[in-house]
Amino acid sequence: MSVFQKFFSKLTVENIKIELMRTAYGNEQTPLARLDPRMLILWVLVYSIIPWLTHNMTILIGLTLFTAVLAYLSRVSPLLIILLIIGVISQFTYLVFAATFLGNSYAALIAVIPVALKVSCVSLATMAVFTSMDPEKFSDALLKMGVPGKFSFGVSYGYRMLPILIEEYQSIIHSFRLRGKQPEKPGFLYVRYIYYYAKMCVVAFYPMMLNTAKRTRTTVEALEVRGFSYTLENNVAKDLKLGYLKMKKYDVQFLAITLLVTASVYTTGVLMPL
Amino acid sequence: MKSINQERKLTQSQKMMVFVLSMSLFGLSKMITEILPSNEVGPIEFSISYFAFIPLILAALFHPLYVALGASVGNIVFAGLLMGDFGGIGEIEGFIEFTLAIYVAGLLVRNPLNKMQLAVAALVGVGIDQLLSTIVDIGKVWFGVEGFDAVPGLPESIVVLEGVSFLNEMIITGVLFGLIPTLLLTPKLYGKIEPLLGMNPRKAKVQVSVGAYITPGLIFSIVVLTFVAMIAEFIAEMDMNLAFWSGDFIAQFADDQKWIGYSAWAILAVGIIYVIFKFVKKNKNNKMDLDEAA
Repeated sequence: MSVFQKFFSKLTVENIKIELMRTAYGNEQTPLARLDPRMLILWVLVYSIIPWLTHNMTILIGLTLFTAVLAYLSRVSPLLIILLIIGVISQFTYLVFAATFLGNSYAALIAVIPVALKVSCVSLATMAVFTSMDPEKFSDALLKMGVPGKFSFGVSYGYRMLPILIEEYQSIIHSFRLRGKQPEKPGFLYVRYIYYYAKMCVVAFYPMMLNTAKRTRTTVEALEVRGFSYTLENNVAKDLKLGYLKMKKYDVQFLAITLLVTASVYTTGVLMPL
Repeated sequence: MKSINQERKLTQSQKMMVFVLSMSLFGLSKMITEILPSNEVGPIEFSISYFAFIPLILAALFHPLYVALGASVGNIVFAGLLMGDFGGIGEIEGFIEFTLAIYVAGLLVRNPLNKMQLAVAALVGVGIDQLLSTIVDIGKVWFGVEGFDAVPGLPESIVVLEGVSFLNEMIITGVLFGLIPTLLLTPKLYGKIEPLLGMNPRKAKVQVSVGAYITPGLIFSIVVLTFVAMIAEFIAEMDMNLAFWSGDFIAQFADDQKWIGYSAWAILAVGIIYVIFKFVKKNKNNKMDLDEAA
């Protein structure tokens, strides 16, 4: 119980914002951050498919451990890890609950473990990659891989703006709370509190929408002045912008290590299946 | 279709503004709902899956297609990639369903000040999304895709649970966080938010007949896209070998499930042909740009 209390006392908006900032503006020093972003995207694509290719428990445990090590090296925030654990558990509790309640057997619990492992492997891999990659590089890599420019711009813009948006939303909520009055009695099952906060969450989006609209327009117009849409269409300009993306020796080394680890995991899995 | 497009004609940068606006707002709201605690009473979960009113309002006021695409992308990028909750192939299902739902809802609104149209659009929008995902979920059990047949009592209980959760979603996400806020906020935002993006508010009085936008093309693409979403979700849930290139791929389906495998093949083939076609076209453009620059 105390562990949960400790966790929820840390779960303030301020903390979440800091964690997101860290995810978005990953630290440059981590091993994954020095890779070419295209390599990272390819790697995460491959690693989000590989776990689904096998039923072998040994291989799954090995892959999950490998992604966990990478996530640790990339300093993924503990908040995200805890959210992942809660997510994985809650995703399967109701299935298991239903099965044990109605079918009276624990078979479902065992059937669910491989799927849970696969989900956590994929999540750990994506978290490791997106903690290590800053938005600018991510959007350039997408552009280089032929994703429509509007999409890649939107992604990097949103990525960058999100912490600011969260802060703004929080300050709107604060001002609502300052001006409003919390219900005196919680009511039956805290109904009044729930209604008060739910209404505030929704109504706060009214100023939020207007502010975001204004901000979006300023940004897009500033970009258009510099001929942003044109650079996205024109391939010569694109080559100039994306020229810095190059596969280096380090990328090849990383690829080799990944291949080695994956191959050894598979060999162990084939030799000693659980 | 044509009259709607004329009525909501946007310039290139306005399209981008609408896309980015919808993406960041919906992404933010999705993040908030992810963090909000959910109350579970037994197996039934009382939680808000998303703030449906945000894309609904934006789709009523701006171009529905860009709002729908923006909201889905925001969902994947913020709630998926940034929060480390990315579902892989299964994510395709949510993307297609949600985009379709918001697009259709936006098309239904011809006059953003008409409460009746807004209400219908809000309910239809959330309804399409939830109904499609419920159908896909029940379909999984129906076709025995999830492989839990061996567990007695599970298929029946999933059908019941999905039905209950559909109702629950419709009440919480659809009405409390979809219908009511949409009705309250749309008239307030109408005429205020458009000038901030540098455009005129939609003309409230334009009359377009219902038949004008429910074209055969739209219905056809809805059916096709729903099918693609279904196959993607089945494949993701079947927890199977994805080696499309080997002959074993079809062999691992039971006899009555072979069509899932063949459909996946067909979708993949169409996708690859499309990408190759695009690539060839792009190379041609590349040459033209170089000529221009030279």
